Parts: sequence; structure tokens; C-alpha cells
Amino acid sequence: MNERSDEFDPLRALQPDRVRPDDPGDPAVVSRQKERLMSIIEESDSTASPSYRTPGIYPRLAYNDERAALDYLVRVFGLTEIREARMEHDDNVLAWLRLGGGMVMIGHANHDIHRIYSPMEVGNTTAMVNVYVHDIDAHYARAVAEGADVTMALQDAFYGERRYEATDLEGHRWHFAEPFEAIRARGGSIPEDA
Amino acid sequence: MDEDTDAAVIAASLDEPARFGAVFDRHATTLYRYFVRRVGASDADGLLGELFRIAFERRVSYDTSRPNARPWLYGIATNILAKHRRREARRLRATARLVAERSAPGDLADGVAASIDAAELWPRVSELIAELPDGECDALLLFVWEQLSYEEIAASLEIPIGTVRSRLNRVRRRLRALDAPTEVAP
Repeated sequence: MNERSDEFDPLRALQPDRVRPDDPGDPAVVSRQKERLMSIIEESDSTASPSYRTPGIYPRLAYNDERAALDYLVRVFGLTEIREARMEHDDNVLAWLRLGGGMVMIGHANHDIHRIYSPMEVGNTTAMVNVYVHDIDAHYARAVAEGADVTMALQDAFYGERRYEATDLEGHRWHFAEPFEAIRARGGSIPEDA
Repeated sequence: MDEDTDAAVIAASLDEPARFGAVFDRHATTLYRYFVRRVGASDADGLLGELFRIAFERRVSYDTSRPNARPWLYGIATNILAKHRRREARRLRATARLVAERSAPGDLADGVAASIDAAELWPRVSELIAELPDGECDALLLFVWEQLSYEEIAASLEIPIGTVRSRLNRVRRRLRALDAPTEVAP
């Protein structure tokens, strides 16, 4: 146990489980509450409502090889697939992925109904996905280590965010950022004039 | 994502809710002790159940970029405790009486209110804590009793780390002021 010694010592002396060592609480409570939780979980499982919610706005990105894209986005950019949302038909996959509070949907390029193309087909990128991440430095390091195609190196932007951009395996552009305020809050260092 | 982190377990629990049980296994004892410290064992039982029911419902919005769920759980627990401040104050006063009865002269930690009689000090400390604004009390107890870092407290209470620092500094000043009237100038 990390024993600090400072003005707060009187508070430590008032910590009830030090004063009354016979009052650490009842271990049986924890196992009883575990049983309750598991029965709540079991009941919730039988109600068919999905346990994920889609935001009011989220993009659908088109890929020629959406399975490869799914692997790539999870491995390189750290997105998490919501497995219960996945839809597969014929050879195609629709998948929903989250990162922090945001979400993207990915699927096969669809020329007939939705008329969306992979950047690989048209030779240009026409939109960029903006993502806030918890620790931009760690996110960048991971992406680089996983072989990301970094198209804007990590930098501190004048408007108060650290950011970088990377282009994914089919040419979609991703912009990752973290506000200086959040960097400071997690104990990271930011430019002195920020 | 590392398969073993809380974030990975919570993400997996969206598909397989029963996996959320592992979050309970990892943190329930710690959070139960937190409740016991603040409101006593008889209330801590129900609050522990409430905490994990709420956490389970909110797992959808868990920020999976945070590997460790403990600060998140402390945050939910602290919100629940906001309704129990009066009970908490009674408990603190009772604890202070016990400590005062047991304190022998010279028993106090070095440099702490050494000039105040124990019978006088402990009730004053417990009053001070009981009357703190919620935000200061929460930051204080998470820091001193739960031994969370400033960063973890910031994440728990969803406030900037600078606010954690200023809240704790305000409490430090209040505690020092307790001692002030009897201080002798060198």
C-alpha cells in the first residue's frame, strides 16, 4: 500500500476499516450480488433489444474487400467490431465498428443501389473520417507499428489538438486527434504556448 | 485491443452479455469496500447491486479506449453515493468518536494538529469532511481512502485533472486552517 504522509493524515486515521478492523464488510455480500447481476444479465439477454445504438449520423465506407478492411481497421486503427450487428449475405459483409463514442459502418462497394465506390476504383478520396481517441500518442505508435500509411505525420495543430492522418488499405482517409486539454488531463505534455 | 483488458471484456459483452460478469469479478470487492467505508456495511450491500446493474446497462457507452474500467466504476459509485451524504456524515462522526477515545496524547501523526487535543481534533475533522461540497469530498476520499491517482480521479468524476488538483488543494487549506488558531509563531 502506498503510504503518503501529508495534510491528509487525519483523514487516513478516520478510514473506517482501519478504526474498526472488524468492519471490512461481509464477503458473502459480493457473491450474493454476483448472483443477482448474473440473473439481471440473463433476463436482459432474452429481451431482443440490441445492446448497441447507432449514433444519429455515421458514415458507411465502401471497400472492394470489406473483410480485409475489417481486419485492417481493427488491427491498425484499433476499432472494435460490434459483432452482434454484423450482417452477411452472399459473399458480402456489413459490419459496424466503434471507437470511443463514434461509429462507422463498412460494406462492399455498391454500384447499383447505393452507388458508392471504393476510393481504389475512382482514384480519389472524397471524404475524411474524423476520430477522437483517448491517447493519440499511443494510437499513432500502434498504427505505425502495424504498418499504417501515414499521410500526415503526428503534429500539434494551432487550434489546440494533436493530430495525424492515415490512408487505409483502399484509400479512405482517416484523421485522428486528441485535444490538448485531454492530453493534459491524462498527464501528457503539450506545447508550452498552448 | 488486448484480450485481457476490461475494455475488451466490455466490448465482448455487447455480443455475449454474460461476459460482463468478469468485470464484476475483477472489481466488485474493491468497490464494495469503497461503499462500506463511506456509508457502512448495511447500505453497501444494496449499493453494490445498484452499481453493477447501472454499469451493465451503460456498458454500451463505455469508452473502450480506456483499458481499465475501475475509474469508470468509481465514477458511477460516487454518483450513487451523492444521495447518501447525511448517512455518511453520521458514520464519520461515529468513527471520529472512536478514534478520539482511543487516541493517547502524542499518538497523532507527525506535524498534524499536534497542539490540538485529540478529543477536540477528531470531531472537528469529521465536521469539516461532512460539510465539504460534494465535489471536494468525492475527490478527497477517492484520493486518500481509495488511493486513486489524480488522473484516475479525473476520469472517474469526468473533470479535468486541474480541477482535481484545485479541489484537493482547497481541502488541504481547510485542514491546515483547523490547526491555525493554536499555532505558535516561531
